[in-house]
Amino acid sequence: MAKTDKKTSRRDFLKAAGVTGAAAGAAAVVLSGETVKAASPDTGNSAGYRETKHVKTYYELARF
Amino acid sequence: MTAVTVRDGTEQSAISGNDVSSSSTVDIPGEDVLRANLYGLLARMLTEPPGEQTHDILCGLDGEEDGTAIGTALASLGTVAARMPISAVEEEFTKLFYGFGAGGEIHPYASYYLTGFVYEKPLADLRHDLTEIGIEPTGHNNEPEDHMAFLCEVMHGLVTGTFGSGWDRAERARRQQDFFRKHMAPWADAFFADLEAADSAVLYMPLAALGRLFFAVEAEAFEMAA
Repeated sequence: MAKTDKKTSRRDFLKAAGVTGAAAGAAAVVLSGETVKAASPDTGNSAGYRETKHVKTYYELARF
Repeated sequence: MTAVTVRDGTEQSAISGNDVSSSSTVDIPGEDVLRANLYGLLARMLTEPPGEQTHDILCGLDGEEDGTAIGTALASLGTVAARMPISAVEEEFTKLFYGFGAGGEIHPYASYYLTGFVYEKPLADLRHDLTEIGIEPTGHNNEPEDHMAFLCEVMHGLVTGTFGSGWDRAERARRQQDFFRKHMAPWADAFFADLEAADSAVLYMPLAALGRLFFAVEAEAFEMAA
């Protein structure tokens, strides 16, 4: 019962604040060309060394 | 509850090709769809200046007053957008965040606000948590992950269930709260206040107001959820 009360008041609070207003509904932009993605699964190198972008950059800059 | 399709065809390219179809539908409450919209809007606008599609959406907000502070900020965003060509917004964005040779006015990084320097411990802490959640940067730009745009996009994904699709409602709520409190709340208010007051800010002034107001609501709403 307490859970329901909390959920209701949170929803009412968001509504009163204007988060759930018509404008917020209209403000749905398309996130394309984004900066965040799901991480690719580890290729399983048990040594823990991964050739990340930063490592590659380092090698590039150090001209190994 | 509203079933939300996490992505449509246009978003296909966005969040890496994998797992798009398998986690394509997550049930989230109506109010969360709208929270996601606001995080999405902030992410979009802080990543880069609005393109035509986004600019059109902003113009649609012109006049959408509803008597709330957030509604007013969105309406102002629309009013200003309707009176600014995209080229002017692009110039504003460059002046604000990059400058013309002398550096931008605003440095939207957690590390900068919390330590005075970029690429500091706040970024390291964030990277640890991102690894734990299982997300990473796409490399779309060369900004560090503690950029406000990136963080808003993470929140968008946590709210919609794009990230952590295997979590239940309670877990998803807890993760949002933890992430927001740890990586955004400590510095967001100062950042949005700076952006709102920036000399070069025109369209980004109501956007900053929106950010400040929305985050204040989020902070309080998380208290309620707890």
